[in-house]
Amino acid sequence: MWYRSRKISLVLFALLMLIPFGAVTLAQDVVTIEWWTVNSEEYSEEVQRALVEQFNAEHPNIQVNITVLPESGFTERMTATLGAGSGAPDVAFFWDNNWFPQALDLTSYIEADPDLDPSMYFEGFWNTRAVWQDKVVGLPLGVGANFVMYNKDVFDEMGVAYPSPDWTTEDYIATATALTDPDQRRWGGDRPRGPFRAIWRNYGAFPYSDDSTTIDGYLNSDAAVASYTWLWDLVASGATPTPADIEILGTEGTGPIDLFLAGRLAMATLNQGHMLTAIESGVNFGIVPEPQVVGNERYVNAFSLTASIWAGTAHPAEAYEWLSYWVGPEGQRFLMDNGHLFPSLPDVLADHANADKDYVQAFFAVLELRQVAEWVNAHPCNGTVLRAAVDAWDLVNLGEIGRDDIKATLDSLVDPAQQALDECVARLGA
Amino acid sequence: MLASWRRLSPMARREALEAYLALSPWLFGFVVFTAIPIGVSIFLSFTQWTIVEQPTWIGADNYVRMFTRDPLFWQALKVTGLFVLISLPLKLVLGLALALLLNNRLPGMNFFRTVFYIPAVISGVAVSLMWMWLLQPDTGVVNTLLDAVGVKGPNWFWDKDWALPSVALMSVWKVGGSAIIYLAGLQNIPAQLYEAAEIDGAGKWGRFWRITIPLLTPTIFFQLIIEMIDSFKIFTEAFVITQGGPLKSTYFYMLYFYEEAFRNFNMGYASALALFLTLIILATTIFINYTSKRWVYYESE
Repeated sequence: MWYRSRKISLVLFALLMLIPFGAVTLAQDVVTIEWWTVNSEEYSEEVQRALVEQFNAEHPNIQVNITVLPESGFTERMTATLGAGSGAPDVAFFWDNNWFPQALDLTSYIEADPDLDPSMYFEGFWNTRAVWQDKVVGLPLGVGANFVMYNKDVFDEMGVAYPSPDWTTEDYIATATALTDPDQRRWGGDRPRGPFRAIWRNYGAFPYSDDSTTIDGYLNSDAAVASYTWLWDLVASGATPTPADIEILGTEGTGPIDLFLAGRLAMATLNQGHMLTAIESGVNFGIVPEPQVVGNERYVNAFSLTASIWAGTAHPAEAYEWLSYWVGPEGQRFLMDNGHLFPSLPDVLADHANADKDYVQAFFAVLELRQVAEWVNAHPCNGTVLRAAVDAWDLVNLGEIGRDDIKATLDSLVDPAQQALDECVARLGA
Repeated sequence: MLASWRRLSPMARREALEAYLALSPWLFGFVVFTAIPIGVSIFLSFTQWTIVEQPTWIGADNYVRMFTRDPLFWQALKVTGLFVLISLPLKLVLGLALALLLNNRLPGMNFFRTVFYIPAVISGVAVSLMWMWLLQPDTGVVNTLLDAVGVKGPNWFWDKDWALPSVALMSVWKVGGSAIIYLAGLQNIPAQLYEAAEIDGAGKWGRFWRITIPLLTPTIFFQLIIEMIDSFKIFTEAFVITQGGPLKSTYFYMLYFYEEAFRNFNMGYASALALFLTLIILATTIFINYTSKRWVYYESE
């Protein structure tokens, strides 16, 4: 009797012990992937949820759980969770380069994936947003770039010829001056938003040496002096709004689109999002790249968002499945067709609804130029050095120095910039 | 401590336990949200930490860099010190002046008290944007009015010499908050003191200097400490309007701290900066507290 009851107890105990294992086995059949994203003009929350639904339906073993965060709070939340080492999403935008050490290296996953190849993406965006320190830290979602949008009606009214894609920095000032009309409170063009962006690169100017050791001879090089002198001439022309005008009259930090739409700016350096806004507003416009310097290589300030897998994910294979769907041809096509995304895949982008329009063709051409981001991403101290050297920018913009003082001003900034570079390189590397 | 605990009567012990129990939510909050973060911050100030990687111990290098190899630190310190020196006296004096006006017994005074207090409760970002518009050099209200009386207004936030005074002007505009505190202090002064002084032949000026100011010194002392701390922490205005420019003329300490912490992810150095500012504020507070024995009068004295 005693033996029998003990036997029953053991069987019951064994059954009880099996229950959790059974539950785990069932749970493992469906893996949940946490995905953090943002709501943007290019891909609304609604469209992204529809994409997730489509993916979940096609992949019964994976369920993507979407969390849509406000763009303003995304950076703080990602930084906090990555810093804490727990609670980070399996898949998310890794749009800050400082997060890359915590991104899963995708090299082996891509090599094993017959449907995804780096050559499918724009080369420039792959190099700047997917590869970091010889690792593939993510896939680039969407493309964007700065270019000059010009209002054809204003050009026609003033009898000025439209700019051509091969226009020069001198052409820019001459055109802006010809279009400026104080009576109508209209400026011909705007100013660059910071030094050492596309136009500085077009002049061949770099803030420091490529090995991140030397400021002298770079920040104050002939090329840098030439680019600052060009800015000085542009400011002196009176053909552009002052920084005060831009801050007060412009409502967007990304470019003076509102002034452009209002016809107060005949030309403005804007991006593909602004282009869509201009189309909706019915403005008659064209697009050209930022002006070049004859004989020099031409650059573009272009951008894309890196989408990555957190290195601490418990489900890397499933996370890759979702990532390669979202940022692969299928997902980007879905976001293009249902939203406003310009995909980072040329073959998909070629099918864009407005691909035949001249301004969209001009935008596509801009995407092929060499990117400012190549330098910026390869030099983590770029921002720190520019912060130390910002005085030259302020002095020229405020009209505080003469044209002949530019070289001396840049010379005076060499020491503080070198100090900032040395400190930063010791901390972040070259 | 144990011995003193044993000396307590059972009733006293129970009362002490109840007191600690009542205090425990605050104690918990203090330890978790204040004491531990301060401790961690002190530790981090001796490290190099980019948030997403492990902190690396570098000894006192952050402090050495701060004092010997960082011109931006000195610039931020200079600008912030100047701002404190300009704005603090202005806020104290104008706050008191406004409180004296609001202390008058006139019809509709409550309305004015509310109106002057409103700036203190408006979001700093909204206030900053409003002042950007007011002080726009070409089309702003202030320069338009100046222009109407034949005065050429400056470029305000967009002029290296005027940017800092412009921010100070903005901070003075929010003086209504401190005026309300002054007002409470003024209304605590017994009316019979004024009546007695009047009977003794004291004029308005005499009553102000010999009654109002001395009896208001505890409030002035409180305001001095609070406004001083507030001035050292100036951030929003520079962050929204000037980004520290032009020519770093509004490159305030907290803006520098923010850039190091949340733009450069240089948390170790940012912690050192934060601790140094805490020490400055602490030292200034101790100094003011020390001098207060000579100029602050309490009714009980």
